[in-house]
Amino acid sequence: MAILIDETTKVIVQGITGKQGNFHSKSMIDYGTKIVAGVTPGKGGQETLGIPVFDSMKEAVNDTQALASVIFIPSKFTYSAAMEAIDAGVQLLTIITEGIPVKDTARIRQKAIDNNVILVGPNCPGLITPEASKIGIIPGEICSKGNVGIVSRSGTLTYEIIQNLSMNGLGQSSCVGLGGDPIKGIGFNECLMMFEQDPQTKYIVMVGEIGGTGEQEAANLVKKEITKPVFAFIAGQTAPLGKQMGHAGAIVHGKSGTAKEKMRILAEAGIATAQTPGEIPSLIVNNL
Amino acid sequence: MSMLYEIEGKQLFKDSKIPVPRFKAYTDSDSIKAFAEELNSNVMMAKGQSLSGGRGKAGLIKKVTTDEAEDYIQSILGQYHRGKPIELVMLEEPLEIEKEYYLAVMLDNTSGQYLTLASSRGGVDIEDIAENYPDEIFRKTLPILTEPFPYQFMELGKKLGFVARTLTQFTSLMTNMVNMAIKNDLTLIEINPLILTPDKKIIAADSKVVIDGNAYYRQPKIASLKSQRDRHTDLEYEADEAGISYVQLDGEIGIIAGGAGLSMATCDILEFFGSSPANFLDVGGGAGDIKIEKSLEILSNQDIKGIFINFFAGITRCDDVARGVINATKKYNIDVPVVIRLVGTNDKRGIQILDENGIKAYGEMVPAAKKIVELVKGGN
Repeated sequence: MAILIDETTKVIVQGITGKQGNFHSKSMIDYGTKIVAGVTPGKGGQETLGIPVFDSMKEAVNDTQALASVIFIPSKFTYSAAMEAIDAGVQLLTIITEGIPVKDTARIRQKAIDNNVILVGPNCPGLITPEASKIGIIPGEICSKGNVGIVSRSGTLTYEIIQNLSMNGLGQSSCVGLGGDPIKGIGFNECLMMFEQDPQTKYIVMVGEIGGTGEQEAANLVKKEITKPVFAFIAGQTAPLGKQMGHAGAIVHGKSGTAKEKMRILAEAGIATAQTPGEIPSLIVNNL
Repeated sequence: MSMLYEIEGKQLFKDSKIPVPRFKAYTDSDSIKAFAEELNSNVMMAKGQSLSGGRGKAGLIKKVTTDEAEDYIQSILGQYHRGKPIELVMLEEPLEIEKEYYLAVMLDNTSGQYLTLASSRGGVDIEDIAENYPDEIFRKTLPILTEPFPYQFMELGKKLGFVARTLTQFTSLMTNMVNMAIKNDLTLIEINPLILTPDKKIIAADSKVVIDGNAYYRQPKIASLKSQRDRHTDLEYEADEAGISYVQLDGEIGIIAGGAGLSMATCDILEFFGSSPANFLDVGGGAGDIKIEKSLEILSNQDIKGIFINFFAGITRCDDVARGVINATKKYNIDVPVVIRLVGTNDKRGIQILDENGIKAYGEMVPAAKKIVELVKGGN
């Protein structure tokens, strides 16, 4: 067991013939992901990487019965692609694309909620269940199978933490990159609950950053509902107030959004917080 | 997310049928005369334009006569307010005030819907209202997937004490405000204060408008406004044009990283090892060699003691990073120590390219960070 995806998950890639979509589709296939179809309007009937390409999501879903899709499409066209995926009946929608207008994301999010679709992203690295399947761009070679569940607001920083865990013999059950935008699909809390219920997961690592209130809400949930040990790292300890640090979500508005304040609130909920990403493995080992 | 000047916001208000006082941008003394004629009055407001708050306290807003206007405007032009000089002044019709209100529409990050806030205690900071009169801020959430209608604001208007003609003015103003946010990809519109005049008209006396930078491509008019250029330092502007997230800080070591989280953690770890970041720089996902080269060009223009390049490539490819670094070292005068950490997609090819050019790459972040701090500290 793991969360959200396993070796049986059938995946459709929206934008499979684009540069990024094609490159990462190959990497997903190499990792073992069951990619069953791609969608590029106007290229239906073609094949790429041995995968059939369809003009629309509806045709792809009807033909393959896949219930997961991943979007590698420029930000201008993502809104339409996401709406199409939800209308076609996918249940797990992952959006890798960054730079989507926040209004579009808010509408996608609402449509996903209304249709009981699990939305991961946008502006995220996707998710991976080591030795089974990955959706998105997390480099498979740094992962190893194990019992640490990872949920993160960051992309590359997640890789950093996965690598540190793997090198220290701590494998992962699943890793989910939530994305760095201020409005997004699922958050820490949904993932914490899934990890809590997943028998394979023994430890949970949260990777947060400055801005927003997701970490504070997670702290509340951990106090009440999570019995498994939770560890955290918060990026942006040196970020100045009022400056936006790349991720649209990562802007510090006053004291409540700072890394220090988040670390304090997490610590209060009994979550061990690391000063550097490299400290996470030793925090877990000390807990063993 | 970036703010507009008051005058730019007011023009958007006007275009969106939200009542504003008559206004004009100051250009020269003739513009003052022309505006006085338009108002048929020799008294007007002169308002220095700034992207930072606290203009009133800083003396950048003043009611002046036609004779005083030019001298006053000349005295505030070029004056620094919170780090930036005043370059733009607007002339505005003075208003008679019966009562002041606070109004806002925002795309709320928590609910993912448009949220309107309103209070009959306008004219002071919303933070102060929230602290002293939390029960007097009224909220109304509007579903993101449908358009707003005036009836949705009726209750809000009554809570604020509007009746009869002012009530319908209010509900249509709120509807127009939400439509303005939707149409222009705005994440915040704040009117503080909204003025009720003695002849029972409601008018937006100030504007605070924030646009979503991700929507620039479909909002070319707003993207080209002066405010959108002025919000950055020159280097930040240059980076923004190239699609690089760059924030100037005041530390020793310039950084280039891929991904916002890792870029922040890179800044953090330099401090952890006793140095400090000179900037935050995230090339974004899928950056090619050109962006890497541009990033190094930007850093070569900053006063720094070392450069730390940190990539854990997912959608980015390490060979592109390596090529960008090699090209940049040939083109720009980089005379400070450079440490590179490179791992992830295509890392073997990237490391090989660096190796062929005599540059050693680190595979892990901690030793690489320690090394650059050591080189920078030892070099002094």
